[in-house]
Amino acid sequence: MHTENQSPQTVNVAGSASWQVELDHVSVTYPNGTRALSDVSLRIEPGEMVSIIGLSGSGKSTLIRTINGLVAATQGVVTVGPHQVNALSGRALRDVRGQIGMIFQGFNLAERTDVLHNVLVGRFAHLPLWRTLLDLPTKHDRNIALGALDSVGILETVWTRAGALSGGQKQRVAIARALSQEPSVMLADEPVASLDPPTSHAVMGDLRRINQQYGLTVLINLHLIDLAKQYTTRLIGLRDGRLVYDGPVQNATDKDFEEVYGRPIQARDLLGN
Amino acid sequence: MTSVLSTAERSEQDTAGTQVPKQPSKHWTTAFAFAAGLVILIATGTLQISWSDLPAVPGQVWHYLQLMFASPDWSRLPRALFEMWRSISMAWIGAILCVLVSIPLGMLAALGVGPRWLRIPLRMIFAVIRAFPEVIIAIILLTVTGLTPFTGALALAISGVGQQSKWVYETIESLPKGTTEAVRAAGGNVAEVTRWALWPAAAPSLISFALYRFEINIRTSAVLGLIGAGGVGSMLANYTNYREWPTVGMLLIVVVVVTMLIDAVSGAIRRRIMEGGRARAVATNV
Repeated sequence: MHTENQSPQTVNVAGSASWQVELDHVSVTYPNGTRALSDVSLRIEPGEMVSIIGLSGSGKSTLIRTINGLVAATQGVVTVGPHQVNALSGRALRDVRGQIGMIFQGFNLAERTDVLHNVLVGRFAHLPLWRTLLDLPTKHDRNIALGALDSVGILETVWTRAGALSGGQKQRVAIARALSQEPSVMLADEPVASLDPPTSHAVMGDLRRINQQYGLTVLINLHLIDLAKQYTTRLIGLRDGRLVYDGPVQNATDKDFEEVYGRPIQARDLLGN
Repeated sequence: MTSVLSTAERSEQDTAGTQVPKQPSKHWTTAFAFAAGLVILIATGTLQISWSDLPAVPGQVWHYLQLMFASPDWSRLPRALFEMWRSISMAWIGAILCVLVSIPLGMLAALGVGPRWLRIPLRMIFAVIRAFPEVIIAIILLTVTGLTPFTGALALAISGVGQQSKWVYETIESLPKGTTEAVRAAGGNVAEVTRWALWPAAAPSLISFALYRFEINIRTSAVLGLIGAGGVGSMLANYTNYREWPTVGMLLIVVVVVTMLIDAVSGAIRRRIMEGGRARAVATNV
């Protein structure tokens, strides 16, 4: 059934225009009363490579989830490309999410499913429902998925169960899944927090390459200062849900980081080597 | 010895310097224990148990065990095996019908899958079904369908749906949320989340629960035979009424051995499903 003659297709990410991301006085209060974001305003230009730093509980995860509407902004306006995300729901919101790739700290793969079908999840927004439910992707979609796997260098794992892969391989499957969406923005929520140092550098390198090669807007949540400095160009600092720093990475001083973290910088804030 | 001393000294210093949190009150635990004891006392008081007969019970049990198992009558073994096979068929058909109904209904009743207006009534229906014993459902069905083994299968299917569906939605709800979030982030809807995030993760558990339902049904089908639903249970009830103890003994041996065999095989299959027999290790750590 699975034909051998098909060849991985180059992911056509560059074909979809890269989007800007704009937050205008955005606040998020969870139903339990926790105020995760307070009056955050920022504007990220298309093609920027941005890291969002802060301690756990500072609102990083919430901020990145307001951008694709996984968390609804309780106040303010979230604009991604031509779409006002906080005004959308249902089908329209799912369509926009289809244009926004996202990777996670815990990889969030279907562990018992093979790598190809994990990556094909990225094509859901481009396929009719009956095709996704009956597992009948078009040859075109299958080739895009294979191309995405090839571009992160793990095409040989295509028939492996995702649960049997190493952490680094899992995160690359997750990146391939996001790439196969042919996204206009890429979000990453603590993508290397579950990985060892060499694998962390490899995954951050993949994200930088995606940014440089396709000109894709990339937002990465990080808590390690040296990774933010090395791989991204702009730094956004959150503390207790408030924006406390926003500027180019090279201008950020240790004092700025101490302001974001609310304490002196320690060894555990750095990946090292 | 020195280390113990120093630990004690340190803890003394700690209690001197800092406030140790107050131990939570245990009044409620004590009150509950008293209440439970009271319920047991009242229950035994109202049952009018003749405690004086108690010493005679072991002797009686021994007497009937001897009647049944001293020399079991194997002449009716072929008939017993045939009836056992009918019981197994009943259990199998009942389990399949039950699982086919409870997997979709249970999934719709899971938080995050079905809409609220559907979830609440479904859960209420499951709870009502769970409140009915299989025998009661079989008796109600008997009046409609008459005395056939299919009545037994149907009773097993219907009475199982309550518990089986509850297992399904509890399994779905206890799955890690990560994969669901990833499918939603890629633009997937509820159907796609169910198909590609929930189902792959839950399937081994659900298949295991289906086999478990079959095991339960084997045991229950013997009980349903007592009210005339056919199978080995009916045969057992008849020969008990005639007080033909050697045949009863043979039937009990057949039921216990076959049930244990099926439990063992089914249990082994379930373990294999849960542990995932064909996990392939992958070579290099990139």
